[in-house]
This record gives sequence, structure tokens and C-alpha cells, in this order.
Amino acid sequence: MTRVSALLVLCSLAVALAVAAALEVSIGPMMIPAGRLIPDTWAYLHGARSGDAVVMGAIRWPRALAAVLVGAGLAATGAVLQAVFRNSMADPAVIGVSSGASLGAVLTIQTGLAQLNAWSTPVGAFVTGLLVVYVIYRLATLQGKTAIHALLLAGVAVGSFSSAMVTLLLSLAPLETMQQMLFWLMGGLDGTTWMNVWMILVFVAGGFVVYLGHAHALDILSLGEEQAEGLGVPLQRTKQVLFATSALVVGACVSVSGVIAFVGLIVPHLVRMWVGPRHRLLLPASAMGGGILLALADVLARMALQPVELNVGVVTSCLGAPFFLYLLRRHYQAFERGAKG
Amino acid sequence: MSVRIDLELAGLGLPPRLQAVSARWRGGQVIGVVGPNGAGKSTLLRLIAGVLPAATGTVSLSGRPLRGLASRERARWLAYLPQQLPEDCPFTVREFVEMGRYAHRSPWGGVGGHGWQVIHDSIARMGLGSYEDVPLSQLSGGERQRAGVARCLAQESPVLLLDEPISNLDVHYQLDMLQRLRELADAGRLVVVAIHHLEFAARYCSQLLLLDKGRVYACGRPQEVLTAAALRDVFGVEAEVFTDAHAHLRFTYLYPREGDAQRPSTAVQAGEEANR
Repeated sequence: MTRVSALLVLCSLAVALAVAAALEVSIGPMMIPAGRLIPDTWAYLHGARSGDAVVMGAIRWPRALAAVLVGAGLAATGAVLQAVFRNSMADPAVIGVSSGASLGAVLTIQTGLAQLNAWSTPVGAFVTGLLVVYVIYRLATLQGKTAIHALLLAGVAVGSFSSAMVTLLLSLAPLETMQQMLFWLMGGLDGTTWMNVWMILVFVAGGFVVYLGHAHALDILSLGEEQAEGLGVPLQRTKQVLFATSALVVGACVSVSGVIAFVGLIVPHLVRMWVGPRHRLLLPASAMGGGILLALADVLARMALQPVELNVGVVTSCLGAPFFLYLLRRHYQAFERGAKG
Repeated sequence: MSVRIDLELAGLGLPPRLQAVSARWRGGQVIGVVGPNGAGKSTLLRLIAGVLPAATGTVSLSGRPLRGLASRERARWLAYLPQQLPEDCPFTVREFVEMGRYAHRSPWGGVGGHGWQVIHDSIARMGLGSYEDVPLSQLSGGERQRAGVARCLAQESPVLLLDEPISNLDVHYQLDMLQRLRELADAGRLVVVAIHHLEFAARYCSQLLLLDKGRVYACGRPQEVLTAAALRDVFGVEAEVFTDAHAHLRFTYLYPREGDAQRPSTAVQAGEEANR
């Protein structure tokens, strides 16, 4: 891709992202006409606290921004993990980081820590997310070498274990906290506050800078570890930095939205078909694509079965699972062709 | 290369795969690492490249030990091309060769004017000038191997370590590749290449290192290393060794050594080579 077409791609994605966010703000049980969008937002920012202004400023905007940031964080992390694992089916949810983080979030609710301090839930999510990454990383590392397929399988197993623990805690929970905990299993964006938005912004933006700084290394890593070492990529350190960063980004996202699967899987795939394999472009394009997808999915979740509001995680899984199977099939076919050819 | 390079291996090993290899090679040569399957050729190249940590011994380059050097720094001295390039590589030839500049660029900067010059030169030198924008997945096996060597050239390192760069190539591309490696060596580089084809190894390499079950069997000029006795002991084949009208070392493989049931696979391997 030339510099000009790359810029065009990013600009068109930015426009699409703005449109998706605007849709997320204006469509809901209470419709806000497109013409009121800017004046009402302006009014809210200047202290107006009535009617539409409050719905938009205090409810819709934080939710829309959270959707965009969570989508961006998950999709960029998915692109990174796919390169590091050299496996196009890697995704924060697939390798178990998301469910690990949700276990931490649920634990803080179960133990009552969440009532004592609002930050305990995100911190709990980081800690267990990081712990899961560390555990699967150690399980798959022998004599300083990390076997990627072992990492992936360990991720699946540890992820299932964390999900099982969440379910166990859920069944022991009193009815009133159960609803709250269920949210982390299904993934949702309702009730997002400005506080949540700032928190994810810090982690997603920071993580994205780290990812982008490794764009060249990620290109090389996607060819395999042996190639990477020969070209001078400090393999172990690079992987450690990238895994820790992805645990932080995913932990931040999960602590706000619960487990939202498949965004990190679908988006980098589609974007790669369009912009090619280079991470300097793939990462920002995936981040924006993730924001667009999650914002639109959230609109769908809110509107599809009105007045019942679905969790956005249900929508992404409904879209993502068939896509995952399609990928599996295509890879299998390619593999078969390769074996015969 | 302005500096005359001098690569020294002192007792380099990773038992049981490879035992204490010592050798000293100067720039301007093509060194062939030969031996049967599993003799430790790839392991040796990986140990020199530092991709695999050595259990014993040291590698030094013009007197400087390489141990403890940061990965990037090492990649500026030694370029290593593994045996397998992924066949589904989606990058174009230019993007692929640009990766060779990783050790020279900062994470945020471009490759710079000099970098682009080196990239284009490396591609042209491997005869891929008209393929710059073609994805590697669409190249033939021989072109892909040449792209791999071009990427090594882009590292601007005085030493090239190539693991079987002519395996899977037809005879035209084998000769073509070896000729190009010879030219690179003539320009001052040290090219160390693991190679199966003994006659081509003898013809294009200035020195050979013959490995047998992880040990050095012989090291020196091709006609000193590839003797009938060596072929019998190491490869388990009887062969007549002679020099043909073009002054090239030639072998007529007669048969796998009789009564040697322990190495049927290497006997077949050597037999296949005779048929190529």
C-alpha cells in the first residue's frame, strides 16, 4: 500500500468511526434527531442538565466512547496476538485473558471489595488477566523457548477454567449480586460512566503506543520466531512486553465491559484483507475498525429486541462464532490443498 | 566490506547435538558445512548466529566475542537465514527485504535514504528487481530463496549464515544461487552455507567442514575433505572420487556400503544425490 492510499484508508475509517459513534449516541429507546446531536452535546458541556442533554451527555456519550475504546483496544490487541502467536485465530477471549480478567472482576464483587472502592474491580481484572497471561506463558515456556501452540492450548484450558470459576461464584452468589456478576460473563456497556471512559482511555491509548512502537517487530514475528531472532528482534523481551501490555489493555476493557468475544478476532482479519499485513497500518486500522464494529453492535444490542436490551457480548458472539468457524474451515481447506500440492 | 572479517569458533557445542567445533574463517570465502542428515549442520549455524544458545565454547568476530551482544547488534554482524521460509508469506519482496533493516532502524523512524538504497541494491543483486511489488507467496521456490538471501544482504552484515539455501531448487537455480554467493564472497563477505549437494559444495566452496554425528570429521579444502574414505565413513557410501575435465571434483557413487544396516536413511540420501 502506498502512503497516499494508506492515508485514504485511515481517513475513511475515521469518518466511519465518527458516524458509528454518532449513531450510538442518537439511536436508543429515546431517539435523538441527528440535528440535535451537536447543539445538545455543546449544551451539556456548558452545564445544561435538562432532557436530551442529560441523556446524551451522561448516558449515551460515555457509552459510545466506551464502545469505541473497548472495540479499539480489543481489536488492536487481537492484531498483536495474532502476529505473536502466528495464528490467525488468536484473540484475547480465545486465549483466555478476557475470562481471566472477568474472574478478577467477579471476585471483587463477590468479596464485597467492589462496594468499598470503585477501583477494586478494574484492578482485580488487571491482576487476574495478567496472572492468566503469566501462567499460560510459564506453562508453555521450556528452557527459555516459548512454544506457541502450547501457549494457545494452555490459554484455552486456563480460559475455560476461569469461566468455570466465574460460573461457580455465580451459583454461590446471592440473587442481588448475581445480576451484576452475570454482566461480566455476557459483556455489556450499559451503565458506563465518564470515570470508566477516562480509565479505559488511559490504558487503550498507552497500550496502543506500545503496540505501534513494535510494529516492525510484529511484522517480523508474524513470519516465525526463528526468522525474528536472525533479524535482530529481542524475542523473549519483545514477547514479554507485548503480553504484559495486552493483559493491561484487555484487563481495562473487561473491567468496564465484561467479556466481549470475537471483536479481536474478526476485525484484524477483515482489515488485513483490505490494508495488507504491515502492522504500522494494520494496527491503527484495526483499532478504528474495532471501534466501529463495537459501536454498531451495541446499537444493535440495544434496538434488536426492544424493549429488552441485549448484552453487546451476545451480539458479537452471534456474529463472531460463525465467522470463527468459517475461518477454521478455510484454514483447513488451505492446509489440505497445501498437503496435496 | 572495509574491515577484513575473521570468524572464530572455539569449542562451540551443544551436546549431544553438536560437540566442540573449532574453526577459523576469513572474509572472502564461501564455507560449506556438509554432512548427513542429523549431523548437526543446522545446529552449528544456529549456534553461530546466536539463535540457539551454545552450551560450550565461544564465537568471536575479529577477536570480539559475540556472547552477550544484544540481538540487534548481533544482527548487524551476522545475518542468518533459516531453512524454512513460510510459504504463505503475505509480504511483498520489498517489504520482506525491508525487514532486514530492523537492526539498523529505530522503532519509530523509517529506513532512511541509505536504507532504501541498500534494500533496492540487495533485491537487484539477487535478480529480483522486477518482483519488488510481488508478494512472496506468489514467487517460485527459487525466487523465494533468493528473496531470503536479499533480506540477509539488507542487514549489511559481513557474515552470512545460510541454512540449505539451495535445497528444493532445480539445478539451474542451484547453480545460479551458488554463483551469486560466490560473488558475494568475492566482494569480501564471509558466507557460511549448509549444503547437501557434495559436488556443488566442492565446486563453489573454498573450504568445507564435514560433520558426522555432531562431531567435526574433517575441515579444509574440498579435495582434502571429500575423500573416498570420508564418503564411506560419514555417508556410508562407496564412491570413486576424481577430477573431471573442468577440474571439478566428481563422485561416482557405486553403492551404499555393504553390511551397514545402521544408516539406511543416509545411504538413500546419498544415493538420491547421485541421481540429481
